[in-house]
Amino acid sequence: MRHTELEIQELKTQVKQMWNLVVAQLSKTKKALLENDTALALEVISQEKRVNAYELKIESDCENYIALYSPVAVDLRLALTLIKISNTLERIGDFAEGIARHTISQECNVIDTKIMEDLGVEKMMDTVLEMLLDGYIAFETENTKLTEKILSLDIQVDELYKNGFFILTEYLNTQEKNAMCALKLIILLRKIERIGDHCNNIIEDIVFYVDAEVLKHHKKITINQ
Amino acid sequence: MIRSKNIQQKIAFHIFRLLSFGILGILVWILGFIIYNGIQVISWEFITSYPKEGMTEGGIFPAIIGTIYLVIGSMIFAVPLGIMSAIYISEYASNQKWVRFIRIMTNNLASIPSIVFGLFGMALFVHTFGFGDSILAGSLTLGILIIPIVIRTTEEALKAVPESYRLGSFALGATKLQTIKNVVFPIAFPNIMTGLILSVGRVSGETAPILFTVAAYFLPKLPQSIFDQAMALPYHLYVIATSGTDIEASKPIAYGTAFVLISIVLTINLLAGWIRRYFEKQNSI
Amino acid sequence: MMIEAKNINFYYGNFHALKGINIAIPANTVTALIGPSGCGKSTFLRLFNRMNDTIQNTKLTGECLVNGQNIYDKTVQVDDLRKNVGMVFQKPNPFPKSIFENVAYGLKVNGISDKKYIAERVEQSLIAAALWNEVKDKLHQSAFALSGGQQQRLCIARALAISPSILLMDEPASALDPISTSKIEELIHELKEKYTIVIVTHNMQQAARVSNKTGFFMYGELIEYSDTKKMFLNPENIQTQNYITGRFG
Repeated sequence: MRHTELEIQELKTQVKQMWNLVVAQLSKTKKALLENDTALALEVISQEKRVNAYELKIESDCENYIALYSPVAVDLRLALTLIKISNTLERIGDFAEGIARHTISQECNVIDTKIMEDLGVEKMMDTVLEMLLDGYIAFETENTKLTEKILSLDIQVDELYKNGFFILTEYLNTQEKNAMCALKLIILLRKIERIGDHCNNIIEDIVFYVDAEVLKHHKKITINQ
Repeated sequence: MIRSKNIQQKIAFHIFRLLSFGILGILVWILGFIIYNGIQVISWEFITSYPKEGMTEGGIFPAIIGTIYLVIGSMIFAVPLGIMSAIYISEYASNQKWVRFIRIMTNNLASIPSIVFGLFGMALFVHTFGFGDSILAGSLTLGILIIPIVIRTTEEALKAVPESYRLGSFALGATKLQTIKNVVFPIAFPNIMTGLILSVGRVSGETAPILFTVAAYFLPKLPQSIFDQAMALPYHLYVIATSGTDIEASKPIAYGTAFVLISIVLTINLLAGWIRRYFEKQNSI
Repeated sequence: MMIEAKNINFYYGNFHALKGINIAIPANTVTALIGPSGCGKSTFLRLFNRMNDTIQNTKLTGECLVNGQNIYDKTVQVDDLRKNVGMVFQKPNPFPKSIFENVAYGLKVNGISDKKYIAERVEQSLIAAALWNEVKDKLHQSAFALSGGQQQRLCIARALAISPSILLMDEPASALDPISTSKIEELIHELKEKYTIVIVTHNMQQAARVSNKTGFFMYGELIEYSDTKKMFLNPENIQTQNYITGRFG
């Protein structure tokens, strides 16, 4: 294999490792949240530094790669995409940490598990995890046929998030003393929903890399037309 | 405007064409004349027998042989000397003034009339060295005559070898001598060869230098050693055309001799071209 | 250090071509020398196999060390030096001989006559130059039958045959098409395992792709010499930055 290709492989491998780490972080976060596992949540928080380190490493390697090899066409798109994906993965890592911190704070343990079930937190977490994994598959296989699926999963997450508002409004009507916790829950939902958005961005970046098509803000464009 | 330009161009083109055809015409005329008159006397006997009856009959065999001896003799002398001088000038000499001086001198040498060489050869080789009128003296004189040609053509041939070959060879740890021997000379060889063969043509056609140094009017037998006199084609032609016993009667013989001489020179030129192409092909298999 | 230059000054007649160059090149690396035309980079490269000796009226001061030895010392035989420091030129210059003879040439002029050994070295060198597979069936054909890129790899093989430890390359790919160029670059990348390579190039992307260290020359001075990564991401000198970003001149 040509040495420039080895260089690309190396970059890709790093991004995949980072991806796996973020997936692990997110699934641990889910477990910690649902099972109220403080120890696991602490682990997620301590691992967050590694995610950040990956981002810095990948960014500087991509800079070097662009500076030394002046890539064009697919190689250039890949380098740009890798930088964006590593930024996005880092953001997802941040949200995972935020959710873990939510788990640790314990202030809202009074809230029964019922409301969590009503909100569909587990479903939301599962969905964003699935999106993240599908994104990984799309990246690894350089195949964009999962795009539609990921986009529709994001719509599901958005639905659950919107629905959460109604449920929590109702909840507040009956349990005013838990208003604080309800607000925190809406922030929690918001974080999960944002993870979904970021997974969306990732698949859009992959489409840019593989098919050289720009999907971003596609909806807006169609509306304008 | 454009019309007049076109007309000018056409006129110029036609003049050029006319002139070159004219030259071709002269050449064809000379050759035709010689061939037409010469071919009538050419026969196997003419080539292989001695002159008879005061050169009004018989052949030119000793003159052919003499010319061959002179060509070989002068080459043995001039080729190594000329090639080595050229290699020195073009590959070794670092003092440009000295090189220029040598070059001017060889050019001067080349432009000296050949009769002067004849005189010089007689003074130096025939008398001072005591070789007498002999093939040796004649060969040396002819050799000096063609050394400038050999030097010039060899030098040009060496110069035509791209510098990158020399550098490539040096870069592999080859010495200068190895480089010249293994790379430069083989590449230059076809061109050198051309120069040599052209000088063979010159040698076989020269009369003046051999006039006082080797040529005999008539010899009943072939030369036995390099200290013997010899007959030669150009001189033979000169004698039978100017001072034979019966000039009119020997005219056909003169044309025959001219025909043989021209044939030899043309053959040598063709050979030069052929050898050149052969080695060029060798060099770029 | 494999190659070292200490306060090198070089003159062509009155022209001061290299001005106080100091550089230290480690073994088994690729060092690229870049800079505008006439900046002295090729002159500098040619110091290390004493190729400048063939040019008249030149003067050198300072020390050129190869493996710690001053190669301009009177005890150094130029032929021996050139056995250790191979060179590849800008234009492929195979001799008008067969492929085999081209590679064997360096061995033969260095006094090796063992036919079996020569044949072995020829094969090894052609393999090392990534040319063996393309020419193994036509070793005795003319080198001129090869393409430009193949000829250049043949010249590299020819240089490798005499087992140098250093390879100097003077714009080895500038006369080649992009595909041949990338093959040469690939080859350079592989060769640095065994050889110390110094390459002069006009092509900055090429310098960036193949080298570990880069030296930037301008007006006979070595403006900057550092790791290639640093040079192309964050050069120290503003002149370097202007040159590599194309703002020069």
